[in-house]
Formats: sequence, C-alpha cells, structure tokens
Amino acid sequence: MLEARGLRAGYGAAPAIRDVSLDVGQGDLVVVVGPNGAGKTTLINAIAGLHRIESGRLVFSGTNISDLPPHRFCDQGIALVPEGRRLFTGMSVRENLELGAYGSAAKPHRAQAMQRVLALFPMLGAKLRALAGTLSGGQQQMLAIGRALMARPRLLLLDEPSLGLAPTIVIEMFRIIREVNQDGVAVLLVEQNVAMALQLARRAYVLEEGRIVAQGSPQELASQPDIQRAYLGH
Amino acid sequence: MKPVAAFVLVGAALAVAPFLGLPAFYESFLYLVFSWVVLATSWNLLSGYAGYFSFGHAAFFGAGVYATAVLGGKLGWSLLATLPLAAGVPALLGVTLGAVIFRVRALRGELFAVLTLAVTFVVSTIVLNTPIDGGPGVMLSAVSIPKLAPSPSGTFYLMALILALISVYISYRVYHSRFGTGLFAIHDDEEVAEVMGVPTYRFKLGAFALSCALAGLAGGIHGVFVSYVTVAETFGHWLALYVILMAAIGGTRHWLGPALGAALVTTLLYAFTASEHALGGRAVVGLVLILVILFLPQGLLGRFSRRAAFPRKELIPPDASIAVANKERLLVIRGASKAFKGVQALAGVDLEVRRGEILGLVGPNGSGKSTLINVVSGHYPLDGGSIVFEGREIAGEAPHRIASGGIARTYQIPRPFAHLSVLENVALPPMFGRVAMDRGRAESEAWRWLEFTNLSGKAGRLPAELNLHERKFLELARALASRPKLLFLDEVLSGMTPSEMDEAIRLVRAIREQGATIVFVEHVMRAVMELTDRVVVLTNGRTIAEGVPREVMRNPQVIDAYLGAAHA
Amino acid sequence: MPSAALLGQSLLAGIFAGALYGLLGLGLTLSWGMLRQINLAHFALVFLGGYLTYQLAAAGFDPLATLALIAPAFFILGVALHALLARFKVGILNTLLVTYGFTVMLESLLQWIWSADYRRMDSHYGAVKWKVGELFVSLPELITLAIACATALAMWAVLRYTDLGKALRAIAEDAPMAAAFGVNHKLLSLLLSGLCAALAAVAGTCLALTYTLAPSQMYAWIGVVFAVVMIGGLGNPLGPLVAGLAIGVSEALTMAITAPAWAPLVSFSLLIGALLVRPQRF
Repeated sequence: MLEARGLRAGYGAAPAIRDVSLDVGQGDLVVVVGPNGAGKTTLINAIAGLHRIESGRLVFSGTNISDLPPHRFCDQGIALVPEGRRLFTGMSVRENLELGAYGSAAKPHRAQAMQRVLALFPMLGAKLRALAGTLSGGQQQMLAIGRALMARPRLLLLDEPSLGLAPTIVIEMFRIIREVNQDGVAVLLVEQNVAMALQLARRAYVLEEGRIVAQGSPQELASQPDIQRAYLGH
Repeated sequence: MKPVAAFVLVGAALAVAPFLGLPAFYESFLYLVFSWVVLATSWNLLSGYAGYFSFGHAAFFGAGVYATAVLGGKLGWSLLATLPLAAGVPALLGVTLGAVIFRVRALRGELFAVLTLAVTFVVSTIVLNTPIDGGPGVMLSAVSIPKLAPSPSGTFYLMALILALISVYISYRVYHSRFGTGLFAIHDDEEVAEVMGVPTYRFKLGAFALSCALAGLAGGIHGVFVSYVTVAETFGHWLALYVILMAAIGGTRHWLGPALGAALVTTLLYAFTASEHALGGRAVVGLVLILVILFLPQGLLGRFSRRAAFPRKELIPPDASIAVANKERLLVIRGASKAFKGVQALAGVDLEVRRGEILGLVGPNGSGKSTLINVVSGHYPLDGGSIVFEGREIAGEAPHRIASGGIARTYQIPRPFAHLSVLENVALPPMFGRVAMDRGRAESEAWRWLEFTNLSGKAGRLPAELNLHERKFLELARALASRPKLLFLDEVLSGMTPSEMDEAIRLVRAIREQGATIVFVEHVMRAVMELTDRVVVLTNGRTIAEGVPREVMRNPQVIDAYLGAAHA
Repeated sequence: MPSAALLGQSLLAGIFAGALYGLLGLGLTLSWGMLRQINLAHFALVFLGGYLTYQLAAAGFDPLATLALIAPAFFILGVALHALLARFKVGILNTLLVTYGFTVMLESLLQWIWSADYRRMDSHYGAVKWKVGELFVSLPELITLAIACATALAMWAVLRYTDLGKALRAIAEDAPMAAAFGVNHKLLSLLLSGLCAALAAVAGTCLALTYTLAPSQMYAWIGVVFAVVMIGGLGNPLGPLVAGLAIGVSEALTMAITAPAWAPLVSFSLLIGALLVRPQRF
C-alpha cells in the first residue's frame, strides 16, 4: 500500500534521512526503531507530507504522492499523530476532533467517526468542552490519536507516542493501536521504546544515522546484535 | 590612517563650506542632511545593532526640542547652555522606560515597536497640555547662538556637522568594540548572548541612553533652527518612520549605513519638494521603503557589514592555573526539580561532578538531560533543590553571572549568532566570560580554539555556510573559548558520521587534558563507553544509576529503562 | 461638574466613537492575530474606502449601497497584499514597515485625487436626528453602531461555530498540522486577508457617514485603534468592540470632565499598562 523508495530529506548539506526504502502493506503494523537523532521524525513527517522530500519516491495505493501539497495528504487516506502531540491547545477537545474530519473525504462521515472515537476513548467524552491544553499528557496523546482517527485513514502514522507517558498509559495506548489495526487500518509507528514496539509489530525496521540498517520480524531482530549495539553501545 | 584622524579630516573639509560664501539655502539644506544623519545614526545604535526596533524616536527628539525650548525660549538661556539638558532629559526618559521595559522578556520585537509608538503619543500629549508648551507653541527666535560662522545658517550648519561627526564616530567605535559585539549578539539570539556572559540588560540600557541623548541634542539645535516649535510638528509620526527608512536603506548593521540612508532620502525628498512634486516624492519614499524591505533587507551597505578581524597576534599559551583532576567536588546538585506546564521534567535529581573528570549523562529521550543543563546554565529557574558550584549556590543567578563563574555549555541544536562570523562567534565568550578580554585579545584566543577544532579555514564565514558537523564544532569552540572550568556538551555527536565522531572524541579528550571538567550528554553509547570516567543515568527526571560505564550499562534497571523488559 | 445632559450626551458620543474604533480594529485584529501581519495600511484603506463612498455618493448613489462595489474591490486588494507578503516571507516586524510604505503611497494618492481639504459627505442619512429625552442621536451614528456590532458578532460566530472558522483558528495555532488534516492554509489565509480589507471598506463607509475626511487624518486613528486591538486581545473579533466602547466612553467622560486634550492619554495609558502587566497575552 505504501511504498517508499530511496527517500532523502533533511536540512541542507547533511540530510536527516538518506536512501530510505520501506513498505507498509494493507492492514500491516510496521515499526521503525532507532536511537535519538536517527531521523525517525523526519521520516514520518516526510511520509505525512509535512516535510519536503528532496529525492526518492513515495507511492500510496498506486498514486505517486511525492510532490503532493501538504493539505492533500489527508484525503489520500494518511493521518498523522505527530511527536509532541501538536494539538490545537486553544481549542476544545470536540473542536480538535472535528478538525480531524475536516478533509473532504472524511467530513460526510464525521458524526459516525466521532461515535467510534468516543467509544475507543471514553474519557474524552467526559471532557469534550475542555480546552485541549488543559488535559494531562496521557489524555492529550489519546486525543491526538482520536483526532487522526477522525480522518478515517487507511494508514495511521505515529511518531514516538510513548514519549513522556507513564508505563501503564503506554500499555493502554498500544492496546488501542492494536485494536485500530485489527479494524483494518495500517499502522506505521516510530518509537524509541524498543520493547513495547517490538511486541506490537509484525515487521520492524532499524533506523540509524538516517539509514535503514536492519529489517525483519521482531523475533529476527531481537536476536540480532544490531539493536543492542545501536542503543547500548555493546 | 587612524580612524580619529580620518573623521577630523573629513570634518575639517566639510567645515570650510560656510566660509566659502555658500548660499544660505545650501547651508540650510546640508544642515537638514546632517540633522537626519544624527537622528538615523542614533536610532540605529539600539534598534539596528541590537534589533529592538523603536517607533518612538520622535519622543526623545521632542524631549530635546522642548528642553531647549523651555530653558532657552522661556528662561532665556543660550543654546549652548541648554545642550547638556537637551541630551540629559531624553536620556533619562529613555533609561527610565528601558529600566522597566527591558526587564520584561516578552516585550520584544513588534511589541516593543508598538510600545514605543505609544510612548510618543503620551509624551506629546503631556507636553501639549502642561506649561511646557500648553498649546500655542514656543518661540525660540530670541535664543542666543554662538557665532561660529559668518551667518546664522552657517552656524547651524557647523553645529549640525559637528554633532553628525560625533554621532557617526560613536557609531563607528561602538561597532568595533566589545559593546557592539554584545549588541549584535543580542540582536541574533538574546538568550544565548546572556548565557555566554553578555550583560544584556545593561548593554540595552546603555545603547538606549546614548541613542536618546544624541536625538535630544539634534532636537535642541533644531528647535532654535526653526525658531518656533509646536507639538504637532515636533512629535509628528513621520520622524519615527523616516529614521527607520533611512537606516533600512543604508543598512542597519553597518556604522555608516544610517548616515548614507539619511543623505539619500533627504536629498530625494527635497529634490521632489523643490520641483513641486512633494506628494509624488512622499509616495516614492514609501515605494522605496517597500522595495528595500522586500529586495534589499540588508540595506545598501549590508554586504560590507562584516567587521574586519583583528590581525592575528601571538597565541596565548594555555592557562596552567586550571587544576588537574583531584576528585574534588566541583558541582553538587541536590534535589533539583523543574516542571513545565504540568510535565515534571526534573523530579529531584541528585548529582555530583568531580573536578577533572569526564562524566557521562545518559538516559532515554525525555529523561530530563537537556533540562538539567538548561537549569544549571541559568536558562530556566529551578523550582526546588540546590546547585552548588565551587562551594557557591548558583541556582537563581543571572545566566551571564553563571557564565563568568566558569560554566559553559553547547546546544544540542547549534545556536550560533547568525550574523556574526565564525571567528566573532568564538571570540564572544572570551570577551564576556571569566577573563573578560578586549576584542583584539579575544580574537587571538578565538583563533586558538578554531585551530583546535579545525575550523580556522572557515573563520571569516557565516555559520549558515557551515555544514552540521562544522556547526557542532563551532558550538564546541565557542564553549571552550571562555576557558570554562565546567563544560556541558549536549549531544555533540548526534548526526555525525563515524569518522567525524572519532575526531570529536579525540577533541573531547584533549579538552580534558587542558584542565576542563566535562559533563557529556550523549546517546551514542560507544562514545560514552570510550570517553567517560563515570556515568549517571537519568530516567523520568530522576537519577537511577551511577558508576563506572561498563557496570552501569549492564545494570538491569538501566537496560530496562532503555530497551524495556524484553531485552533484560 | 457638567450637567447630567452634557454627561449623557458625552456618554453617547463615547459609545458611538467606541463603536467606530471597534469597527476599525476588527480587520486589524484578525490579520494581526491570525495571519501574523501588522497591517498599518489598514487605515489608509479605510480612508480610501471613505473617499470612494464620498465620491460615489456625490454622484448620486446611496452611501451604504456603494459598499456593493467597494467591498469586493477591496477584497481583491487584501488578497494581493497577503500574496505579496507571503511570497517574500516577510516577518511580522517587517510587515509593519512594508505596510507603512503602502500607507504613505496611498496617502499621497488620496491627497492627489481629493486634495488636502476637508471633505464632508452630504447624505440623506445625515439629516435624520432624533431626540431621546434630553439627548440627541443621529442616524449615521446609529448605523455605525449597528454595523460595528453586527460585523463583530458575525465574525465571532463564524470563528466559533463554523468549520471554516475552526480551520482559521487551527491555522493561527499550527498551520502545518492544520494542513495535515486537509486545511488549505495558503488559500484560507488569502481569503481572510481579503475579508479584512473588505471590513476596512465597511469601516470607511461608516467613517464617511459620520466624520469629515482629510488624508492626514488617518494617522489620528492609528494610536487608539492599536490600543483597542491589543487590549481586546489579538485575534478576538469582539475584543476591539468591547475595548473600543470602554475607551470611547472613558475618553468622552475625560473630555467632559477635564479638558479635551487629555483624552488621548486614556487609551495609551491603558495600552502601556496592559503591555507591562500582562505581556504574555500578546
């Protein structure tokens, strides 16, 4: 469904990602792990249309989206849960969710999508009127995921969703992501928390200094020394 | 030729004019040119150099006008006698305003501009409604002026010429001085300038006072020149905007820019007025402003605004007085806590740094490492806990004092001063650090560190022209240049290729050999293993392990924090 | 101490003046708060609109009807301005300077076409006055008040309740994230800028109805309108109206009780106070 070939993006002479190729199939759950500074956020932002792709190809469901303007990515079926949530903090929870379904493809189904999202995240239902900025970290993360789901994506992108969250909340969140995936939404997740990520994934890539250095199933990767070396140095 | 001599020569050449029988019209026109040179140049001292765009220059010009008007026009003083107050009153006004405004971090940029605009309106209303003016204006035709030239217009010409020369000379001297470097640094990144030791509050006040004093002097003289002053004419909105236009056209980062712009714009305006197309003239001035901002934002002299480096002098030998490793406790942090909008970044960190060691500070993303550095260097105040450096509590001190105490840091994402050259960037901390040096010595010191980091070939370039690895080394050189006792390196290696990393590791070792104590925040584990004597692990804002690298990284708790239970 | 009638009339005058401040400030607060543009040329546009209304009224058109022509034309000007500023990626401080350049150019144009003389529009509206108890109220003032309230409330409602309004608020906070959810922020910003210019046209017509026009007069409004915009909160459509009414009334009462010349001090002191006490609001 998603094919990235030879992606290169970043700032100036030293690109953050170089020659990255990966695939996400329909209904797949793919994880990209790597240490800080490896280029994970640039990669996810490039796939979401937030970051300009300098060279390489990005194809989604047969359509070449490499040169599409940012606001057209959503209608293609790609939704992003960005690093740091980036909610519209001055707007209410309800308004944040409604904005998720702003795109022309998602708007007709907004009421339905809202029902589904509130069923997934009941605690948001109690706080619909609250300003997004007043929620706790965990609640904000749930809202960010909910907002993305309002767009009825076929591919959900998540950038380090566990950052700054307590372990119990992370477990709950990953459970929800698994549930969403089982409903048929493909998921591409970028994470620093390797253990959780590998438990969740069907396939994983290891990103180090802007390049893919390993890929495979979680079992295959866990037995390889790549990850341990990348993170712990030995 | 020494600069002073050059100025005197130019001045003498121009001063001859009134004695050569120049028609009064030209003398008056040139008087106006000189007067605008003073106004534009004085404005530029704060607004161009330090970046605090003031829309209220008319307030200080007007304060000078009315100081002379009251003392000269109403109390009979001679013009020369009023001048000290024509300078002093606006300066005092400016310092009072600045003392309040500059304390408030948020009042920069466009807010400062609007605030100064409001000040003009307030001052003019007060002048209009009190006995200072009261409404009818003030007659100044009876104020006695010195006899410097055959005619009164010649005298005004000479007075304005002298003031213009003084203003431009001051602009020139500040531009090349330590004060000027500080102002330019404030322009580019005030927070970093403060952390590097620039006393930003004092410098801004100083530039503001100077700017207001010169504007006031121009005002005092101008009042007597026009011989009848009214509030409407004196505090007119166009003055504030014309000086901005003049400085923008000439180049706000150059000492001669405003003067050049003033000469051009005044000539342009008067050419139009003379040919009875005054309206068209004003429209052209508006158009020129737009074109300059859009196409020539640096102004005409912008390209030449790079200060020539001082010639390389003898390199200063390393400071042998910095003690070598002796296990003494250099920095002690106890219970440090800091929260941002509900996120507890530091939750009671305990940490010790011993003199002469390389301490590794590691932990997963979001564990609080960068926050800890920010808090120690003074970027953010601590919520609770204490930080003791060399026996002295530094939590809560102003960043520039912490810097001069001997603590330096690099930034994870490099924050060089964008408009200063590589050399100037590195020369800044020695100018304002522990051993405050003048520009010449500081630049020699900077050369040393540029050689150390292999950047001497790029000394004259701007930071934007360097690649990421070079910019990281620039950060390093800049931090080292202040000869710190304690150096915090914030993820210096991220984004580097393996060979660049080897070079960096070599450098860090060499730095320690020079006597600095280093706290090394990193994610690249192999570097941490190779370099550090001890490692401290932070997670969720707390210290969870401490000790020799090999042991700490095999500690099950640490492995858990990084990789999760799966790999334990 | 002035009489009750005088105070009452002053109060009314203050309300009407405040309404006009609010109307003038509406376009300015929206473009500053949501587009990060400080459009000094807004005032010149207002006066241009006023003069055009005056001219068309002299040719026989109903002053209010002239808006049907002027507002769309100004909409296009607003779009063009934003396109220019966006194309050159002009920073917020520089937008102040660029628009000042346009102000000066427009002022010269106004003076060239209509001369520096004061112009007063004669309209049938101006002749209508009512007496309410001891106080006089004129129709143009009421029209201005009505339009000011209506436009402010309309903009508030749009921003608060419509999808378009929510998209605009999202853009103001985080434009790239808004784009990630399908909001075409470039297009919407252009439209908003056009709208702000159209609002300037509306303000200009009201100005022509109630005040005498002269090119140099545009500068007299800058200070107080900036004050109401900032005190009212950037980007808040109701802000300038509420702050304007408050300032208009305080000014009028100050004028009635002390001397007229002290009135400008009110708005500026309030502004300086607001900036110093709570700068984070801006």
